[in-house]
Amino acid sequence: MKKIVLITLVLTTALFASLKVDTTYSTLGAITKKVGGDLVSVTVLGSSKYDPHFIVPKPSLLSKLRRADLLIMNGGGLELGWLPPLIQNAHNRNIQNGAKGFLDISHSINMIDKPVAVSRAFGDVHAQGNPHYSTDPHLVPIIAKAIAEKLMQLDEENADVYQKNLDTFTQKWQEYLKGYDAELRSCKGKKVVQYHELYNYFLKRYGIESIGNIEPLPGIAPSSKHTLELLMKMKRNGVKTILQDVYHEKRTAKFIAQKVDAKVVVIPHDVGSVKGSETLEDFYNMIANRICK
Amino acid sequence: MQKKLLLSLFAFTSLMANSETEALKEQLQSQQETTQKLLSRVEMLEAQQQSSTNTSASFSQNAYLPDIAMILNMSAVYRDVKNSDYANYQVPGFVNNDLTTDDDNAELPFNANRGFNLNYAEFAVHSVVDPYFEAFAYLHMHPSELEVDEAFVTTTSLPAGLRIKAGKFKSAFGRLNEKHQHSWSFDEQALIYKSLFGPDAISDAGVQLQWVAPTDTYIMAGVEAFQGTNDMSFGYEDPNLFVGYLKSSVDIGDDLSILGGVSAAHGKTVTKENSNIYGVDLTMREQLGSYSALVWQSEYLQRDKDVNASRDSQAGLYTQIVYQYNNNYSTGIRYDRITKNEIDLSSYAGINTDNLERYTAMVEYKPFPMSRLRLNYSHDRSKIIDGARQDINTVMLTLNIAAGAHGAHSY
Repeated sequence: MKKIVLITLVLTTALFASLKVDTTYSTLGAITKKVGGDLVSVTVLGSSKYDPHFIVPKPSLLSKLRRADLLIMNGGGLELGWLPPLIQNAHNRNIQNGAKGFLDISHSINMIDKPVAVSRAFGDVHAQGNPHYSTDPHLVPIIAKAIAEKLMQLDEENADVYQKNLDTFTQKWQEYLKGYDAELRSCKGKKVVQYHELYNYFLKRYGIESIGNIEPLPGIAPSSKHTLELLMKMKRNGVKTILQDVYHEKRTAKFIAQKVDAKVVVIPHDVGSVKGSETLEDFYNMIANRICK
Repeated sequence: MQKKLLLSLFAFTSLMANSETEALKEQLQSQQETTQKLLSRVEMLEAQQQSSTNTSASFSQNAYLPDIAMILNMSAVYRDVKNSDYANYQVPGFVNNDLTTDDDNAELPFNANRGFNLNYAEFAVHSVVDPYFEAFAYLHMHPSELEVDEAFVTTTSLPAGLRIKAGKFKSAFGRLNEKHQHSWSFDEQALIYKSLFGPDAISDAGVQLQWVAPTDTYIMAGVEAFQGTNDMSFGYEDPNLFVGYLKSSVDIGDDLSILGGVSAAHGKTVTKENSNIYGVDLTMREQLGSYSALVWQSEYLQRDKDVNASRDSQAGLYTQIVYQYNNNYSTGIRYDRITKNEIDLSSYAGINTDNLERYTAMVEYKPFPMSRLRLNYSHDRSKIIDGARQDINTVMLTLNIAAGAHGAHSY
């Protein structure tokens, strides 16, 4: 046992050279890697195959948070159900809310779908607006900038490197977006339904219309009454595409698809949640290809 | 000729220049006008904004209000034992609800009545205090009394993975001790906990120091000092209870996580004799999807308590499996048993006091994460009522509500 502890301790110190950054989700992790390069080691806390609202607060996540120099979270209430007890029990003063090593990206994002009234009578609504902003590729440079600024603050010595990484990445990304936007122009005005309002940022960006959701209220399982209403609505609007995420049940979507002769497409909500979406570019390409084609 | 040409060229260019200057002047003019308009608009907007900013009350502190949640727990119970009999049950060697003696463990706060019960309305309050402390309070309101279930502060800025907790709080001994009633997987308290500590388990005024190791594998060690007022196991008038534990967890792949711990508590009884309690616990959780999991949790507790210079040695365990089918439904079974009861049981002469055990099964339905309906059945073979061994069957339907700003539960 002692040996194991010693070995782990040695391994830990060997890694000390780089800044240890924990991100709550994988898209934030991928962007952090771009901006931080070799100077950071990134750990993603929540697996992208699971519902981001319901990450299991496993004790192993405590040991990850315990040693982090920086915690980058999505914010907007998405981590409310799992992150606070982890922060409380990891005993790491660097990453407490308000400490230097705590970054809430939602504070840099212009959030959409802000509810007029907030009550749990409307299901699991987030007071701060829709927190699923990572599907919009145009927000990537904004996120990258927020992360770079934080890294520069924490690691002043290497500020130039982070700035350079940010500039290179941003420039490349703008190039990428030119082609990306051009491809998506043909998709404007298309109508879709989704399971949960998970893709609203992407849909809004490219003028795709979301006609309804499979869940009757955010976080509430489908009911037959609501499903029938949705069927009628899809027929009226001629909707032929149903956006399904990887973690909800797929029965309802398949049932609806059969009734209205539509197609169910599985769309990744974070980098790596669907096989073949492991890089940022692959992730956004897959969203575009699957929604648009 | 050349001269003429040059002259005319000059005249031409100067004319051109003239007309160009005119054009530029006009452009400048219009631009100036635009700027002027914009400036006056900015001024107007600024004035508007100034008149609309900060009209809040000068001493308003609303933004600092703590998170407050209301937790309601109620039940409808069928039990094949009369309420008056149930109130006097005994677990031989552990629980003695004989009302003729002045025994403190006659407390039956949860689901005591055949019929309807309001177990409690709890107010859970949490707030960051300042950059150094967080504060928590859990106020239990029973139908006729208010109880401070927990009220404590924790540090947030200690170095080296350390944290101190102080106040009245539930010890992190074992696996279940720290959990609030509304977060238990079954509505009845685990038999060995109920038998050794009563309904509140180890919950007392004291201090706690916890350390999380800076290792890849989760390792946590903690020590606690309490007043030790719980006279079922401790109860000496001066501070007498010390608790220590070591917990560790490993993941196997993405989906299987294992948490284990060893705990020890040392205290003094009312008569200032030693009372030592040891515990081991193991939890395995296999995640089957975002909303589906299989959790197997077991715990073994042993108490060695000196009474009139002789040592009573008692132990028990529970093991439970809970299967969460989706975000609405789960089901589970639990087995409770007293495994060791080396104590003077002469007052139970002629009554069978072996094989004290209980079987429990439950099905729960959660329409939403904040509300829960649970049907709980138990077949209890651990009780003695009115001088005779009596098996008890209980069916209860419980409703638990967590409304408001209720913090997430830990693992």
